[in-house]
Amino acid sequence: MKKASILMILGPLFLLGLYFLPLWNIMLGAPQYPEPLGMNIHINGIRGVSEFDIQNIDGLNHYIGMRTLPKDEDMWEFSAFPIIVGGMVALGVFIGLLGFFKKLNYKWFWGWFILMSVLGALGMYDFNAWMVDYGTNLDPNAIMKLTNLDGTPISYKPPLLGHVKMLNFDVTSMPASGAWFMFVGMTLIFIAGYLGWKNSKSAPFLDTAE
Amino acid sequence: MKKIRYSTLAFLGLALVFASCNDAGKSSNGALSSSAAEKVYVAPGEQDEYYAFLSGGYSGNLTVYGLPSGRMFKEIPVFSQFPTSGYGYSEETKPMLNTSFGFIPWDDLHHPDISQTNGELDGRWVFVNGNNTPRIARVSLSTFETEEIIEVPNSAGNHSSSFITENTEYVVAGTRFSVPVPQRDMPINEYKGNFKGALSFISVAPEDGRMNLEFQVLMPGFNYDLSHPGRGKSHGWFFFSTYNTEEANSLLEVMASQNDKDFIAAVNWQKIEEYVKNGGGTKMPANYAHNVYDEESHTGISTMKKEVITVDPTMVPGSIYFLPTPKSPHGCDVNPTGEYIIGSGKLSADITVHSFDKMLAAIEGEKFDGEAYGIPVLNFEEVLAGTVKSGGLGPLHTEFDGKGNAYTTFFISSEVVKWNVGTWEVVDRKPTYYSVGHLMIPGGNSRKPFGKYVVAMNKITKDRYLPTGPEMEHSAQIYDISGEKMELLYDFPTHGEPHYAAGCPAELLKPNSKKIYRLDENKHKYATLGPNDARVEREGNEVHIYMSTIRSHFTPDNIEGVKVGDKVYFHITNQEQDFDVPHGFSIIGQNTSEILVMPGQTKTSVWEPKRVGVWPFYCTDFCSALHQEMQGYVRVSPTNSNIELSWSVGE
Amino acid sequence: MKTTTKLGLFLGTFFLLIFLIGCKNEAKTVTRETSSTPTTSEAKEQGQAFIEDDGSTPNVLNIAIGSPDHTTLVAAVQAADLENALVNAGPLMVFAPTNKAFDALPAGTVDDLLKPENKEVLANILKYHVTPGNYSKELIMKFKKLGQANDQNVEVEVKDGEVYVGGAKIIASVKAGNGIVHVVDKVMLPPAE
Repeated sequence: MKKASILMILGPLFLLGLYFLPLWNIMLGAPQYPEPLGMNIHINGIRGVSEFDIQNIDGLNHYIGMRTLPKDEDMWEFSAFPIIVGGMVALGVFIGLLGFFKKLNYKWFWGWFILMSVLGALGMYDFNAWMVDYGTNLDPNAIMKLTNLDGTPISYKPPLLGHVKMLNFDVTSMPASGAWFMFVGMTLIFIAGYLGWKNSKSAPFLDTAE
Repeated sequence: MKKIRYSTLAFLGLALVFASCNDAGKSSNGALSSSAAEKVYVAPGEQDEYYAFLSGGYSGNLTVYGLPSGRMFKEIPVFSQFPTSGYGYSEETKPMLNTSFGFIPWDDLHHPDISQTNGELDGRWVFVNGNNTPRIARVSLSTFETEEIIEVPNSAGNHSSSFITENTEYVVAGTRFSVPVPQRDMPINEYKGNFKGALSFISVAPEDGRMNLEFQVLMPGFNYDLSHPGRGKSHGWFFFSTYNTEEANSLLEVMASQNDKDFIAAVNWQKIEEYVKNGGGTKMPANYAHNVYDEESHTGISTMKKEVITVDPTMVPGSIYFLPTPKSPHGCDVNPTGEYIIGSGKLSADITVHSFDKMLAAIEGEKFDGEAYGIPVLNFEEVLAGTVKSGGLGPLHTEFDGKGNAYTTFFISSEVVKWNVGTWEVVDRKPTYYSVGHLMIPGGNSRKPFGKYVVAMNKITKDRYLPTGPEMEHSAQIYDISGEKMELLYDFPTHGEPHYAAGCPAELLKPNSKKIYRLDENKHKYATLGPNDARVEREGNEVHIYMSTIRSHFTPDNIEGVKVGDKVYFHITNQEQDFDVPHGFSIIGQNTSEILVMPGQTKTSVWEPKRVGVWPFYCTDFCSALHQEMQGYVRVSPTNSNIELSWSVGE
Repeated sequence: MKTTTKLGLFLGTFFLLIFLIGCKNEAKTVTRETSSTPTTSEAKEQGQAFIEDDGSTPNVLNIAIGSPDHTTLVAAVQAADLENALVNAGPLMVFAPTNKAFDALPAGTVDDLLKPENKEVLANILKYHVTPGNYSKELIMKFKKLGQANDQNVEVEVKDGEVYVGGAKIIASVKAGNGIVHVVDKVMLPPAE
């Protein structure tokens, strides 16, 4: 249980990576952009991969009537997410410490894991919903109004994961380094839960023998 | 359990290795290729190995080429007005062409030289000379724009220029025509003994490249043709070829070909520099322009300088010696070790090579053959290292490959001759098409040449390309010199008349090449830093339009209240911060050129409307899919009308 | 202890993973066909001498070729492969001995010189007849000597108003596009060095 608790303490700390590393990355490449434009989505806002990328993406998007990319203060998510992540880190470490001193059992580890997974899924859902809105809710007076073959307006929603060809742009959306940190942290906690569960089935002396 | 865990991790790790980088390999069978076509073929999407900066001669500008492809990338305006970008037409760049004779729209640009540190190319700046109205210009190799031009007083036909010392301490400018110093009204036939040849030493500030004319050495009235710095052991000396030591003032083709030998002047500039630092020299009144373009304000400022320090060389004993050199030497080149000074007598079949060590020994041993105007003439045999019996005719210029070989152009016999430095034996010769002037090996006149290619720049084209009437661009040939024998690879036209060139590896410049100017660093007096800043202001009959551009509109694009007789300044700031998205501007009836404004830059175009009406302006650079929509109107009312000044966009 | 080792391994793998993800995939595949390989060839009869141009003022070579009195000289120039040297921008001053002047040489001399093995000697003699420059007969008088294309000097003398170069008298002069041809009555033989 000691080992499991140590993992439970370490795991949430990986989430701290989200404070300085991007969670998600969307790259837009085109023949005239051999060095693709890109945006990094952080928990507290959207940043350009290169300095002027956001300005240039907005510049291009105005042709198809997209709104400009949200500033940090434009979306409640960018102020809420840092608090939620911070809270979860504190909670996780706290659970881990209590586990270390055998004040609670591995089920709490699972509990944290499930809570975080739910929050994560909600976050993804929210993110996707924002992209749908952003990519389809276009200015009716847009310079270029393009429709699908059936007459419905084209959606410029970037993919949540993977690659899509959008007009002349190749759009690729992938988890970024912050997300990878988070996944590793989550994996650690998953292992912590697993070890705790295994320990609870074994004789207690095995634990101390480690 | 543990084993499984480890192997899982290892597998995961491996999988990622393959997932992320498995397609990053390169495959090339370049080792098998040997044809000329392949050697110059730069496939679409690939880039050249070398930059080459070719002088434009009478175009007044500098052209940028890639080697080995021979493709031209850019023409950098230096001494000539250039409607393509608005250089010399925009209010910001007009001061760059100011001189003591007023605004001059042109010059004859000759010899590019890239800045050096410890005798090796450092790729910060390229210096060029204006031959006709003596000037030296410094071109930035991060913006590829002209940043500074300094006029050279007391000089005429600024030809033995613009060569730099091995740490870019000085850029040196020697006069081809000797003239009265200071200029005065006197009979031409009193030339002999009265005219002077000024050799100017212009310091270059290490941090920003700013030039300052430190001193001028007033030499006897010969023609100072070409020059190169000492390097390595001969650092501290500068060598100038001379002709017309006869001091003829008419029919030079006869009168200046009388002496069997002219001179190479060896100038110990460090000695003269010390003399000047200790208060030596004479302060002489002068009047010359110094024009500096500031990258942040995007504006050139011209100031007139009023004084120059001149040095009488006889006052600094031991600072200058003459090395006799046969047949009106033209090229004056120094090999990478700094030991050999090559003088090419342009009416000769031979190349004369002087030894720096022997020169020092001859000075030490006072092996003099008389003197000229108080300057000791060294004994020819005492300084001669060797003679290259070339078999060609009319040697002009020499470059080096860093592997112990020299390459000399022969104008009359129209060929490049490769010879060994030391044995003086001819190794190889290849014809050029036709009548070659200069040649260039990247770094070929530095301590560290990149001896892979040589470019021969010819004076005559004739049948090399499809005919284009009587006037044709000059031809150039590129040869592979990596082997024992030279191999002709390719033939390409140049722009203007290339007098010399300078080249360097692409990697030296590529990472530093600017992509945009930062809008947040724009300190232009009339900058419009955002569309909200756009406005129109009237000061008497001057109307200042603060205009911003972004794909694909001007702000403002409707302007009213301008009157006939007004002087309208369009101050245009390009709001883009995206690589290679310039916007242009022009308006109907403008008595000037368009301007091209780079991202983050501000430029000003003047218009003096002469007729009442509603006049359109538009973007001259196809900036975007909606470029054709990027336009606007100015309403011009009669001089006495009382229409209020107003402006708008999207209303 | 083991726990920390394992954790270390785990973290190590993780950072490696981050690192690898960070690496950009710049795939470059260069394939070059090597089958057809054109190389630049330098044919013998290439260069300015072989450009067809009827409009320009004839150059010194054209003048020699066009003169019935200079067939020997032209044959010699061709034997020495010097055509291209006589057509470039110059300026070039050619002292052109007439057929008669060649005939005055000891019998067999010309035939000997035209032999391939004597190409160098012939080229040297011919270059001794060429000056880089373009001077009228009057201007030549201002020189004491001229520097010739074989890098030797030739004396200039003026006797009775006539100009002698290396002992050969200038009997006529023809202006050329790239210089001047002075017809001389003797073959000028370079002095032995």
